[in-house]
Amino acid sequence: MIDTNGNNPLMPYLGRLVEVKDMAPEIKLFRVELLNGGREAFASYRPGQFAFVSAFGIGEAPFGLASTPQRGGTLEFAVQRLGSVTTGLHELGEGDIVGVRGPMGNWFPMEAFRHKDLLVLGGGIGGAPLRPVIQTVLDNRPDYGHLTILWAARHPSLLIFRDEYAVWRATPDTELHLTVDQPDPDWDQHVGLITDLLEELAPSPKNTIAITCGPPIMIYYVDQVLRKLGFAPEQSYVTLEARMHCGIGKCGRCNLGDKLICVDGPVFSMAEAGDLLESFL
Amino acid sequence: MDVITSGALASWLDRLAAESTLIAPRSVEGVLLYRPVTSSADIARDFTRPVLSIKEFFFPATERLLTIEKTGQTITLQQTLPEGKQVIFGVRPCDARGMKVMDALFIETSPADTYYASRRENTTLIGLACKEMGESCFCTSIGGTPDDHRDMDIMLTEVEGGYAVQAVTSKGKALLEGVPLQERPGHLPKQVITASFPFPETAYWPLRFNDAYWEQMSERCLSCRICAYVCPTCRCFDIRDEPLAVGKDQYERIRCWDSCAGEAYRRIAGGHNPRAAKGQRLRNRFFCKFYYYPQQYGPLACTGCGRCVDACPVNIDITEVMSHLAEVEA
Repeated sequence: MIDTNGNNPLMPYLGRLVEVKDMAPEIKLFRVELLNGGREAFASYRPGQFAFVSAFGIGEAPFGLASTPQRGGTLEFAVQRLGSVTTGLHELGEGDIVGVRGPMGNWFPMEAFRHKDLLVLGGGIGGAPLRPVIQTVLDNRPDYGHLTILWAARHPSLLIFRDEYAVWRATPDTELHLTVDQPDPDWDQHVGLITDLLEELAPSPKNTIAITCGPPIMIYYVDQVLRKLGFAPEQSYVTLEARMHCGIGKCGRCNLGDKLICVDGPVFSMAEAGDLLESFL
Repeated sequence: MDVITSGALASWLDRLAAESTLIAPRSVEGVLLYRPVTSSADIARDFTRPVLSIKEFFFPATERLLTIEKTGQTITLQQTLPEGKQVIFGVRPCDARGMKVMDALFIETSPADTYYASRRENTTLIGLACKEMGESCFCTSIGGTPDDHRDMDIMLTEVEGGYAVQAVTSKGKALLEGVPLQERPGHLPKQVITASFPFPETAYWPLRFNDAYWEQMSERCLSCRICAYVCPTCRCFDIRDEPLAVGKDQYERIRCWDSCAGEAYRRIAGGHNPRAAKGQRLRNRFFCKFYYYPQQYGPLACTGCGRCVDACPVNIDITEVMSHLAEVEA
């Protein structure tokens, strides 16, 4: 599954930043045009896969691929400035070169989700790897059932992909529910945690797949609510993240019990990950 | 059996040192280490095992993966692959086993690690059977023996006036070409084997995940990570860029050893740490060795070399942990 650059899987492809957009305070969306052979490797990556992005001179870190190849030949990454690599990336601008290794990991089985209702739950920057799922549904609307998006952030300013909400909402059979726990005076939508919103909406588990990404604690409690609502572990998918340094199953850092998030994941059904989540929290 | 006399061995090793990089046990300021030698006279002869295993010659404690040069908005990357042939003399069976354990991950699990695979390809292992097991050795408890030749290219066993020679692989045979061997009647001497201790079954491990034992055992752990440093199979690593020269836009991407016992190992940017407690980290170390690694790659990630037993400053003894678990199991 891993496309390597030459024969050395630790050698990055080079990519040029063709767009750097502020999405929220400390969150930027990077659009990368691949340069040296990487285009072929990234020709058909799937929703849920990730890649390592290098801020040369500092290091590299894994980021969820935030768009689909069907949306164009460039890669998109939503990057929140938190550590050294993300700080390094935030200092770059259009025209600068980054390194990219991947695509890595498994993906959401979108084919198996066809004709099912989808419940997508994204918290904070965790919404980024779920955007390809949303895009896939939007671009192949008749193939999927009802799409319910629950999108959460601490504060309205931290909601990501805000300029796309109107399109999501205007798409047939698609609803978007936003929630924040610290509203500002202009906020007229739901206030509270994503779990509160989920309990209020109480979606039916019938023929539905839930897909969750967010901070570990959110994933844990969303899982609790989904179980209460009657979702079987097989109907609930998560995409997990851990500190990792290779992305190809060697460096040992991202284990979740005897699974490795980088190669056995990052996408897990709760039937696979449920018992292991403890070591993720 | 084929025997090489001590004199012939010395000249052969001198030749190997001249033709390639010869690495052998050598006393460095009183510490026995595998280090490059230029003369057979520098090689230590009477030893149990060096303080560090041979893993650093395949997977160095710090290695350069590539260099990075920035010129304006242009980036030039140059991969730095290992070069040259090396021969390691005086390899103990536990360390050769350690390389087999790492092969399962770095070579046999796709994609292969270019750096490690290249060094493995270009290295020949000349083993030296242990005359007896050391005080902290326990290779026999996990399927090894002090004279195990399986993971070597060539195996030597000390006999009267020299060493019995077994060419194990074709690489070993090739290295022995032209080396004067005497044919002698008799069999290889038997090594002194100490009793093995009971060992918990793989299937039993998941049941022990929530044992209070891990937390108790970890109370004295200092998270110093020396256990991983001396371990012939610990292979966790970190990758980062470091400046090559002050004031220049040149960097190297390095890979360096890391250990799951360290507090920062799983901590992510922002501060969240799913393994903040020492007990969780110690548990992961033992689970990795005896449950996760075998599940993921096949072999146990322990060779019974006993180095962690010797090195631990607070006497956390892997054999004691195993014995405790095996007792609870029974």
